Amino acid sequence: MRKPFRARAVGAILGLAVVATACGSGDGATEGDPIRIASFNFNESVIVAEIYAQGLEANGYTVERQLNLGAREVVKPALESGEIDLIPEYTGTVAGFLGVEASADSDVTWEAASAAWEEMGITLLAYSPAQDKNAYVVTGETAEEFSLTTVSDLQPVAGEMIFGGPPECPERPLCLQGLQDVYGLEFAEFVPLDVGGPITVTALEGGEIDVGLLFTTSGVIAANGWVSLEDDMGLNPAENIVPAIRTEVVDAYGDELVALLDSYSEALTTEDLTAMNARADLDQEDPALIAEEWLTTNGFIGT
Amino acid sequence: MTTWESVQEFLSAPTTWSGPDSIWARLGEHIWVSVAAVIIAGLLVLPLAVWLGHIRRGSGIATAVVNIGRAVPSFGILAIAFLVFVQMGAGVGEPWAVLVALIALAAPPMFTNTVAGIQAVEPATVESARGMGLTEREVLTGVELPLSTPLMVEGLRIAFVQVIATATLGALVAWGGLGRFIVDGFARQDMGMLIVGAVLVGLLAIAAELGMSALQRATTPRGTRTAR
Amino acid sequence: MSVVGQTSPLIDWDWIARNVDQIAERTWQHLSLTAISVGIGLVISVGLAIVALRWRWSYTPITWVTGLLYTIPSLALFALLVPVVGLNATNAVIALTSYTLLIIIRNLVAGIDGVPEAVLEAADGMGYTRRARFWRMEVPLALPVIVAGLRIATVTTVGLVTVTAVLGLGGYGYFILRGLNTFFWTQILVGVILSVVLATILDIGFLFVQRLLSPWARSAG
Repeated sequence: MRKPFRARAVGAILGLAVVATACGSGDGATEGDPIRIASFNFNESVIVAEIYAQGLEANGYTVERQLNLGAREVVKPALESGEIDLIPEYTGTVAGFLGVEASADSDVTWEAASAAWEEMGITLLAYSPAQDKNAYVVTGETAEEFSLTTVSDLQPVAGEMIFGGPPECPERPLCLQGLQDVYGLEFAEFVPLDVGGPITVTALEGGEIDVGLLFTTSGVIAANGWVSLEDDMGLNPAENIVPAIRTEVVDAYGDELVALLDSYSEALTTEDLTAMNARADLDQEDPALIAEEWLTTNGFIGT
Repeated sequence: MTTWESVQEFLSAPTTWSGPDSIWARLGEHIWVSVAAVIIAGLLVLPLAVWLGHIRRGSGIATAVVNIGRAVPSFGILAIAFLVFVQMGAGVGEPWAVLVALIALAAPPMFTNTVAGIQAVEPATVESARGMGLTEREVLTGVELPLSTPLMVEGLRIAFVQVIATATLGALVAWGGLGRFIVDGFARQDMGMLIVGAVLVGLLAIAAELGMSALQRATTPRGTRTAR
Repeated sequence: MSVVGQTSPLIDWDWIARNVDQIAERTWQHLSLTAISVGIGLVISVGLAIVALRWRWSYTPITWVTGLLYTIPSLALFALLVPVVGLNATNAVIALTSYTLLIIIRNLVAGIDGVPEAVLEAADGMGYTRRARFWRMEVPLALPVIVAGLRIATVTTVGLVTVTAVLGLGGYGYFILRGLNTFFWTQILVGVILSVVLATILDIGFLFVQRLLSPWARSAG
């Protein structure tokens, strides 16, 4: 007599549940566990994460990708709780998140962030010379009309302007919150868009926003003849790209892993970032492909 | 800060209650786009659906339409509509892409339920109406439409609730609506904003569902009401 | 004129060829989220249906609660679960499962209720015990309707899984979200088309099972 439908269903579900839990996160790490690499939800982060991922894979490591995971508010807790292992971070911004003083000096910023995060079980490896800071961008026309070259120049006109940036911007010390605190800027309106991506670009192009948050490495700024306002009061600290990795994973895998990641960090420059971003943002090229080419050009992987 | 504290903080912030980011503004956006979508969808598909139902054809199409509608992810429709509009030169914050996507989502259930509703009217009833000398139009308006109203309103109900739910996703394509609180709350890890937004849109959807159910009951011709 | 998005062709076949692995991964993710949610939903629904069939008065409140869950927009439900379970697969599965309950329970009950009186009487007449009558007569006859419910629940879930992209999951929804982030048509289309294909395959599969389970309807269908 055939088994009742219900029993078979239960059996199948239990089987799937076992599989699901097997794929779950864990505390601790052992060599041989896949390294879970995540990134924030903008192209540059995905590209650098892909560099780590493909580089490690080429050297025999097993990698799991969780790219485009979200903003730092989402990704940082995931790293700290052990749901992911490695992300590309920015020294200055993460120092701010950890509540420590960042400065324009790369070493000082790195040390402060490093010390703070060690306490939570996250290690910052060697930082890269490549930096990417927030850019406050206006169109060429706007810059001309209001004679804008620095962020301070916005002070008399901010009240009539619309600022566009990622949804988390109003709470970010390097975004609206900082612009308010350090520069005293109060914009007429804030429009939540994306993280320096095509939606922000389109909004700026279309005049829906007057000032947009992009990145110093964004290719569109130059391509469109836009003006990235100079951070004359030094709101933005050093923002070197650095691998943030769970200390347990470093301990489990040892020096070889660290050496590999350090080598990528060392070879990465700000010009590289700008060029790669331009390809991803303007030419719509695939971040994975861009990362692969960078690794090849720099001799980290074969053809 | 606990979730509850975050909720209290959000509810006590002035921007929550006035201005373009306020609950009122977002609620208003959400409702007008949902209502507009359903009305426009109705205007587009109801004439055809009523006609098909009347001539007793197209039930196959109706079923296919609903199956296709169910298989297509609303998030996908929204993304495609958004990109199309942007590439045509529309601004990113404008509601047209969302509106178009919502119309596309509202149409299938309204279409199918209307066709089914009219066809569900007993042929015998229709025949006897004809036999009594009613013109085709009178048969339609006097007999078929009133009797199929429950099913039609049900289609309206399904469409309306689905549209309200999908309008929430509009925040993912830089639009407003109540989904804005959810998406921004996620991004900023502001639990208060997140929860309030979620509760509001949940309540709105439930209110729509209950309201439409009541409408369904109210428009069911007395003679056809069966015990539930 | 827009610099962004100008050069994005509708379908970049190279991208697809290069990303077959990712597509396969996301297919697996989409399938497992769907299967686990519908599976757990079925188990819970069976329990609730048995309660509803045994104690008739409970059917209305059960329908109310599951109906309430069904009405809450998916994004809102994910959000409400964040303070409770966090931002992860558990959140997604709990929400997705909730959406299946109303449909499956309704069809379970309707299926059993739909068994003709005559059949029940015949079974009694042949000496079946209540339990035997239930499992040997009512359930098999109700199966087509039950499977129809599963079919609808599954197809609905496939669509909802795409929204879990906001939780970092998404299945094919990941491509939709990513394509949206970068104005990249190919990713959006791949995400949408594969989603529809998956839903359709599952729909047809269930339809087939539905037909198989009702041999008496085959000559009429």
